[in-house]
Amino acid sequence: MRQIKGAEMKALVADTAKITLVDFSASWCGPCQMVHPVLEALSSEMADKVSFFKIDVDESPSEAGAMGVRGVPTMIVFHGGKEIDRQVGFRDKADLRKTLDSLADRFLTPGKA
Amino acid sequence: MEFHLPPDNSGTGSVVDLVIAGGGPAALSAALYAARYGLGHIVLESWQPGGQAALTALIENYPGVPSVPGAKLSGIMRSQALEAGARFTTETVSSVEPLGEGFLVRTESASHTAKTLIIATGAAPAKLGVPGEDRYYGRGVSFCATCDAPFYRGRRVVVVGGGDSAVKEALHLSGVASGLVLVHRRDTLRAEPRLAQRLLDCPTCEVRWNSTLKAVTGDEQGVTGVDLETPSGLEHLDTDGVFLYVGTKPATGPFRGLVELDARGAVLTRNIVETSRPGVYAAGDVTSNGFRQVVTAASDGARAAWAAFEYLEDRRQN
Repeated sequence: MRQIKGAEMKALVADTAKITLVDFSASWCGPCQMVHPVLEALSSEMADKVSFFKIDVDESPSEAGAMGVRGVPTMIVFHGGKEIDRQVGFRDKADLRKTLDSLADRFLTPGKA
Repeated sequence: MEFHLPPDNSGTGSVVDLVIAGGGPAALSAALYAARYGLGHIVLESWQPGGQAALTALIENYPGVPSVPGAKLSGIMRSQALEAGARFTTETVSSVEPLGEGFLVRTESASHTAKTLIIATGAAPAKLGVPGEDRYYGRGVSFCATCDAPFYRGRRVVVVGGGDSAVKEALHLSGVASGLVLVHRRDTLRAEPRLAQRLLDCPTCEVRWNSTLKAVTGDEQGVTGVDLETPSGLEHLDTDGVFLYVGTKPATGPFRGLVELDARGAVLTRNIVETSRPGVYAAGDVTSNGFRQVVTAASDGARAAWAAFEYLEDRRQN
């Protein structure tokens, strides 16, 4: 999972071939450190349908603010530049995977994903 | 008499003496003791590793450790258990059923056959159930001051509750927020007197006594205010954040039907850690025990591991 700067986000989340999860997190936040390995594992297991990026809210405060992020971790899922889901706080792997699978089913065209 | 478990059990995971469900101080302490007793075990760390303790800014009343961030304390407990030989997986229990003289513990990805079980799945913050609470979760509504306080530097916040957690986290928030209002439905704080006094002395903090939160209001960006019912009528307060500490809900869903629960949904215990079913023990905030602290969770965990050990020894000898 690659860490990006806020300014890179807009272009990356415009993808329509995959859905994109952006994890807004911070170095001082316990649940962020706990959810990190979950996202790392999912990013290799779900590489065919979900792209994963991480934004440090201290490094990119204006993008976090513009997205209405007031807590970390906030994981926002995009498709074609639009927000399609938002998860706040720690999520376990099975739970997050289920959410992402159902979003991928809904938003990705079968055969093209 | 040896333990009778069906030889060809349907478990896809391990066959163990003890399954410990949970990941907070109660489970970590049970894991430490189980490992040192040499019990074949597995710890199914639940949805929140480190439990509620890991989300607590500062723990000041754990004996032997003067003042420590909760995440650090639970991290030390976990490494200590690991060093003793504890085995962890990040599975979450979905159901448990009796199987022969033991139990079949199912998770989303495996099932484990266990001779004994310790329920230490803790509790999650309770919701108020008021309009706006779900809509603005993560956009101004928070259950974790430790996680979210830095977003409220120089801003106004409301904290709801009057117990230890509410007051402790309000004090943490008061260090960054420009102003803080604590909303409490009673006329005195239930928190430890030392914490309560610190809040009453805090120059940027106010308390609305005998008041309840009726709604969270906001716009596209997030929370902008709250509606309160106070003794002098309805009051609207402008605020940027609302932190809720209105009690907890025990995480007992998967154990319903296996052991007796109380009216709150907590595991009903006898002798601190015994449940209504032999071989099943409970520890920490998931129990009906009256006092819920990190130190009592750790203590329950140790007792539960000991009880499981004794239970298994008795069965081996008879």
